[in-house]
Amino acid sequence: MNKVLKFLPLILLITVCIFFLLFIIFEKNPSNPPSALLNKEIPEFSTKSLYNKYVLLSSENIRRNVNLPVNNNAYTNENNIQNKYTIINFFASWCTPCRAEHNLFFEIKNNYQNVFLLGIAHKDNPKDSIKYLNEEGNPYSFVGLDQDGKIALEFGVFGLPETFIINNNGKIIFKHIGPLTKEIIDDEISILF
Amino acid sequence: MISLIGFSALCLSAFFSITLLIPNSIFKFKIKFFLLFFRLSTFLICISFVSLIVAYVSSDFSNFNVFQNSHSNKPLIYKISGTWGNHEGSILLWLCMISIYGFAYSLISNALDDFKINVLKIQSSLFVIFAFFIIFTSNPFLVNSVKVDEGLGLNPILQDPALAIHPPMLYMGYVGFSLVFSLGMASLFKKSRDTNWIIETKKWAIISWTFLTAGIALGSYWAYYELGWGGWWFWDPVENISLMPWIVGLALVHSLIMIRGEQTIERWIVFLSILCFSLSILGTFLVRSGILTSVHSFASDASRGLFILLIFFLITGFGFLIFLIKSPANKNNLQLLLINKTSALIINNILMIIAMLTILLGTIYPIFIEVLTNTRVSVGGPYFNATVLPILLPGFLLMSIAPVLSWQSNKIKKFRTYVIFFLILSFVVFLHSYFTVFNTWGFIGLILGSWIILASIISIILRFQFLISFNYIKSINSFIAHIGVGIMIIGITFSSVYQKEYNFNISVGQEINLNENILKLENIKIMEEKNYQTLKASFSLKQKNDLIDYILPAKNYYPVSKMITTEAGIYHDWLKDIYITLGAEDNNIWNIKVYINPLVSFIWIGVIIMIFSGLIAIFKR
Repeated sequence: MNKVLKFLPLILLITVCIFFLLFIIFEKNPSNPPSALLNKEIPEFSTKSLYNKYVLLSSENIRRNVNLPVNNNAYTNENNIQNKYTIINFFASWCTPCRAEHNLFFEIKNNYQNVFLLGIAHKDNPKDSIKYLNEEGNPYSFVGLDQDGKIALEFGVFGLPETFIINNNGKIIFKHIGPLTKEIIDDEISILF
Repeated sequence: MISLIGFSALCLSAFFSITLLIPNSIFKFKIKFFLLFFRLSTFLICISFVSLIVAYVSSDFSNFNVFQNSHSNKPLIYKISGTWGNHEGSILLWLCMISIYGFAYSLISNALDDFKINVLKIQSSLFVIFAFFIIFTSNPFLVNSVKVDEGLGLNPILQDPALAIHPPMLYMGYVGFSLVFSLGMASLFKKSRDTNWIIETKKWAIISWTFLTAGIALGSYWAYYELGWGGWWFWDPVENISLMPWIVGLALVHSLIMIRGEQTIERWIVFLSILCFSLSILGTFLVRSGILTSVHSFASDASRGLFILLIFFLITGFGFLIFLIKSPANKNNLQLLLINKTSALIINNILMIIAMLTILLGTIYPIFIEVLTNTRVSVGGPYFNATVLPILLPGFLLMSIAPVLSWQSNKIKKFRTYVIFFLILSFVVFLHSYFTVFNTWGFIGLILGSWIILASIISIILRFQFLISFNYIKSINSFIAHIGVGIMIIGITFSSVYQKEYNFNISVGQEINLNENILKLENIKIMEEKNYQTLKASFSLKQKNDLIDYILPAKNYYPVSKMITTEAGIYHDWLKDIYITLGAEDNNIWNIKVYINPLVSFIWIGVIIMIFSGLIAIFKR
């Protein structure tokens, strides 16, 4: 027992160092954490429309690509196409970097027809969100509310803004923390569609 | 040119230090020459560091490091502090201090020649290791390959008076433990059985610990008014790793006190010395390798991380290995009684080590988990509050009775006086808690803090001499330190338990009622400063129509690095701080956050008292 105790500091040191070594070798970048959700099905959620509280959108709609509502219109037929990708963007009126990336969503909307853009107003007052979208324009196909932050929790949101891309099988195929840039869209997102 | 001088001085100084490492069997230096070489090396490394400062002050952008971290229209103080405001420069400062500590030791120490040489040899081998690190992976004297007239600027968040002296203070602490480490190691090799080295270790451990305290406090004070989060301690990994050597250093200082009771535990002292310095290196490693992200992680680089990891492994590994092989025998058994000073000190030591391990676990746990499972977890305040505080509580309880205990017996001196005063005080505290808002943690913190203060004050009074001399202050020094801790505990408790946070949307001219005070937003101005633009709001704080003070929160925009920093506006009072940060603006309506932090000033007062008593202790034999 006494012998083990004597060697304890050395054993501890070696274990700790091995872990640090592995950590450095695999070059974990703290500002780009791995996502547990990547390549998995999207988590269950349901959200109300910002403009009309009777219009709901749930993860089921996205997964099966059916009955996707558009802002205040409950159901439109044009959205029920197969091969539809969904982009989920978490934003808020109080988030300055969100403003920076906002214009890029108009570009995405215009360039890629088969994309359903879901904006989720995270921990935001609906009045402020509406005002924000009036000022900056509304590129989203649907704006859902997440006032208590539950949906963001399900998605493991790290910080605003955060963007997820879901393929037509309901799997998350891309995730980005922080504002999108033109380079990211050209290099990483455009190849997905 | 200046870079060339700096680099040559660095290399030469490393060379001189290497020659000192020649084993005695090959060539034996005379003590005179040995010291001469060591001091020459110190002199050269100082020249090297000064030349880097000169490069910064004269904005010599032909130096790549200056180009990356400085800008010609920064104020002079930030040009100087820019020297250690980056990775390369800060490691050069670290290296310089290793040598200066050795230099100071060679001047002050009255140890035997052999012992002195051994200490300085170990110190120079540490010096050489870090010098190689600088020369091969982080050279601050690289020449800029393109000709430029302007630098990229220092991170604006670091442009702050408290942060200008925070790194040197912290490093004085961290690096001071290198000398403690050397002393501990050298004591393992010594043949004679004198205990002079323990007294020397005590002196240097106290010096380092005092500097470390000052460094941590400055960093924490900076976080309080610059980050604008309303708090002063966030259990951020970077804060934790500076706290670990601090705690172990504290344990070391306390176990060194036992020499007064003629009870020495050399083995434990050496163990703590090794641990203390290796935790200091671990801190540097975790920050500099970019494993932990924070304001401290400058450009991170995998090769640097590997190098520091290697240094950490070698120094700690060798330290513990030699400790295993040449472990000193415990001469006399400790007098462990149920309740005497020795057992109290030992229990306190154990508690501190457990607290340190708990913090260590919380800090590196995310790294373990990420390596093993590739998922990211974060360990924050709730974990540390829930685990570290309960560990420290019995320690504080012991602190409150420690001054009364004796070395040799179970008897408690002046038992009755203490008990009466304790009961009165507890009753007062209980009444206070009963009639104000009752909160368990608030109550515990208040009662422990005031117990500690009371016990120390009674002890001081009992020893009172009518002639206040320096010797008298020295003899009550440990009580002074404990009073500082008590005041700090009360400050920490109140500022965290009874903190209030408000959110307001306010336009110019509007007033807010804050309990008995009225806060009015007078105006908002934009001003041009030397290297930034500032947007300053001016709040007037009134109490019943009497103007008390103006509070000036601000946002600064730094055009060079295109960054905005927030500057909290704080009204300091002995009893509470009113703390305002500016948020977003919308149609001339400003979102502001107001915190009322009670008794924050007590924390800083407590720290200042602790530093003061640390300084006194240096002069104590």
